[in-house]
Amino acid sequence: MKWQMKWSRIIAVLRKEVFHILRDPFTLALALALPLILVLVFGLAIEFNIRELRMAVHDGDRTYQSRGLTEVLGSSGYFKLTNEVSPVAAMGALEGERAKAALIIEKNFGKQLGSEQVARAQVLLDGSDNSTVGLILGYLNGVQKIAEHKFLPEVASSNLEIRTKYLFNGELNSRWFTVPGLLAIVIAILSILLTSLTIAREWENGSMELLLSTPIRPLEIVIGKLVPYLVLGLGAATFVYLLARLGFGVPFRGSHFVLIPGVLLFITAYLTQGLLISVITRRQQLAMQLSMMTGLLPSILLSGFIFPIENMPPFFQVFTSILPAKWFIQISRGTFLSGSGFAELATPFLALFVLNGVLIMLATKNFKKDLEP
Amino acid sequence: MKVTLLGFMKKEFAQLLRDKRMRIILFIMPVIQLMLFGFALSNEVKNIRLAAVFPLSDRISHEVLSKAFGSGWFKPARTTSTRDPSEWIRADQADVVLVAPPEGITQALQRGNARIQLLIDAKNVVRAQQIEGYLTAILQTTALDFIPVAAAPQGGVVFETRVLYNPELITSYFMVPGVMSMILCVITVIMTSMAIAREREVGTFEMLIAAPISIREILLGKTVPYIALGMLDAPVIILFATAVFGVPLRGSLLLLLLLTFVFVCTTVAVGTLISTISKTQQQAMLGGFIFLLPAVLFSGLMFPIENMPIYMRVFGYCNPLYYYNSAVRNIMLKGGDPSAVLVNVLILAAFAAGLIWISAKRFRLTLG
Repeated sequence: MKWQMKWSRIIAVLRKEVFHILRDPFTLALALALPLILVLVFGLAIEFNIRELRMAVHDGDRTYQSRGLTEVLGSSGYFKLTNEVSPVAAMGALEGERAKAALIIEKNFGKQLGSEQVARAQVLLDGSDNSTVGLILGYLNGVQKIAEHKFLPEVASSNLEIRTKYLFNGELNSRWFTVPGLLAIVIAILSILLTSLTIAREWENGSMELLLSTPIRPLEIVIGKLVPYLVLGLGAATFVYLLARLGFGVPFRGSHFVLIPGVLLFITAYLTQGLLISVITRRQQLAMQLSMMTGLLPSILLSGFIFPIENMPPFFQVFTSILPAKWFIQISRGTFLSGSGFAELATPFLALFVLNGVLIMLATKNFKKDLEP
Repeated sequence: MKVTLLGFMKKEFAQLLRDKRMRIILFIMPVIQLMLFGFALSNEVKNIRLAAVFPLSDRISHEVLSKAFGSGWFKPARTTSTRDPSEWIRADQADVVLVAPPEGITQALQRGNARIQLLIDAKNVVRAQQIEGYLTAILQTTALDFIPVAAAPQGGVVFETRVLYNPELITSYFMVPGVMSMILCVITVIMTSMAIAREREVGTFEMLIAAPISIREILLGKTVPYIALGMLDAPVIILFATAVFGVPLRGSLLLLLLLTFVFVCTTVAVGTLISTISKTQQQAMLGGFIFLLPAVLFSGLMFPIENMPIYMRVFGYCNPLYYYNSAVRNIMLKGGDPSAVLVNVLILAAFAAGLIWISAKRFRLTLG
C-alpha cells in the first residue's frame, strides 16, 4: 500500500502538465526559439579562424621590399590593412579600437634585406583581446615563411619538413567543434530552467499544497510533472541533431546506441537538478537566478564547450567533474567526431550515473523534508 | 507625487531584498561567479598530452621532448602499446603524436630532408592550431641548434612582435571585464522583466492601476530600484576585479562608472520592454534569455566579432553589450582613449534613450 504507484494518478498529473504547456503556446514558442537561436548563431556566426583582422600599417621604408611584405600580409586573407602616416598614428589606431594589430616597417628594411642582413619589422598586438593574439602569432609564422621565400628563395629553404594531420576534423571546421557541444547547452536550458520554474510556480501559487493534500503521492507528482519536460528535451535534442547532420554537415561517426543513453542520462540529471532547485527556492525569481548560476552559466563556460578544461588550473579540473554537462559533452563529441563507443566513454557514463544518483537522492530528501509540517 | 514614488520604490526594494537568499544571489553570487570564471577560464593552452614515435638513438627527438615537457605546455601521454600512433588519439590517450622519420630526425637531417608528421586531435579547432604552433616552434629551434653554424641561414625577415597592454597575456585581464558586463546584464535584464511580469501574473497590477499613482510613477518605481541595484553591484565587481585579479584600472574610475550607469539604464529598459510582451514570469524569463544569449555571444567576450561573416556582424553592432565591453576594456587596460570611449558612451546613450522611449510607450499601452 505504502509505495504502490498508481499509473492513473501519474497520467492525470501528466495530462494536466501537458495541458498547462499547450494552453500557453507563447511560452512554448519562446522555449523552442532559444535552442533555434543558439544553433543558428553557432552554426552561422561563430568562427574561430581569423580573417580580415584590422591591421594598421606604417610603411616608413617605401621600397619594393617593404611593399612586398605588406602585399604578402594583405593577400594572406587574415588581415585587412589600413595605411597610417606615422608609427604614432599606428599606435593610436590600436588605442582607439580601430585596429587589433599594427605593423611598423622602419626605413632600412629594404636595404637590410638586399645586403643579406636580418630585416626587422615591428608588429604590435592588442593584448586586451588575447583570444586572438595566440592565433595571430601562429599566422605571422606562416607569413614570415612566405615572405622569406619571396625575397630570398635560396636562403629560406629549410630542410625540416613538418606535416600536420588534423584528426577528426581535418579542415578545422569551427562548426564541427561547437554544434555537438550545443546539444548539451540546449538540453540544459530546457530542462533546468523550465522545470525549476514550473514547479516553483506551483509552490508560489500555493497549488502545490493543494496537490499534496490529494491522494497523489509526491513521487507521482514529480514523475507526472517531469515526463513532459523529458519529452520536450528529447524533441529539442533531436532537432539539434538533425540540424547538425543535415544543416551543417557534421559527421556522425559513432553509434546512436551510445548517444541516446547518454542523452537520456543527461536530461534526467538536469531535470532532477531543476526539481531540486525548485524545492529549495519555491520562488520563481530565485529559482531562475539559481538555475542560471548553477546550471546554465557553468554548462556554457566550465564544461569544455568553448574553453578547454585542460587549460584550467588543477582545482577546476577536479571541480568541473560535478557538472553533468562536462561528461555529456565528452559523450557527444566522442560519438559525433571520433566514433567512440562505450569502452572509450566508460568514465563519462559512470560519472553521469553517479551524478544522477546523488541529485535524485538530494531532491527526494529535500522534497520529503518539505512535506513535513 | 514624490512621496508616492518614494514609497513605491521602497516597497520594490523591500520586496527584492526581503528574502535573505535573494540578497545572497544578488550580491555574493556575482563575486563568486567572477572568481569562478576569472580563475578558471584561460586561453593559454596547457596539459597537452604529447606522445612521440622515434628511434631511441635520435638525439633531436629526445631534445624536443624534454624542451616540450619543460615548457609547461606539454605533458607525457600515457599510451598503451599499439602499432598505429593515430590509435592513441582515437582512444583519447594523447592529444598530439609526433612521428619522426624511421631513421630519426638527427640522421635524416644530416642526410638532407627530415620529414616529420604531427597527428593532432582537432576536435577543438583552436586548441589544435595552438598545439601545432607550439610544437612546430620547438621543433624548428631544436633543429637549428643541431645544424652546424655555417649552414645556418643568413639574412631573412624577422617580425619583432610586441604585445601591448597585456604583455604577459594574462587571461583574466581580458576575461574579467567581459564577465563583469555579462553578470550586470543577467542581473538587471532578468530581474527587471520578471519583477514587472510578476505583478501581472499575481494580479497586483490591476490594483496599481486603480491606486492614485500615475503610470509614469509606476514605471519609475519599477525600474529605478533595478538601476540602483546594478549600480550597487558594479563597484563590488570592479573592486574584486582589481584587488583579486590585479586587472589594472588605467583609466578613470568615474568614467567607468558613468559608462556603467548608461549601460545599466539600457539593460533595465530592455528588461521593461520584455516585460511588456510577457504575461507570466516564465515568459519574461525566456524572453530575457532570448535577448541575453545572443547578446553575450555577439559581445566579443568569447568570440571576436571581426571573424564573423558580414551579415552576422550586424548583430554585433546592434548589441549594447558589444559597446560596453569594448569601452570597459579600453578604459581598464588601455587607459581610455577619449574618442573611442566617447563614441561608445554616445552609442550606448542612444540605445538607452531609444529603448526607454519604446519601452515606456509599450508600458503605457499594455496598461491601458
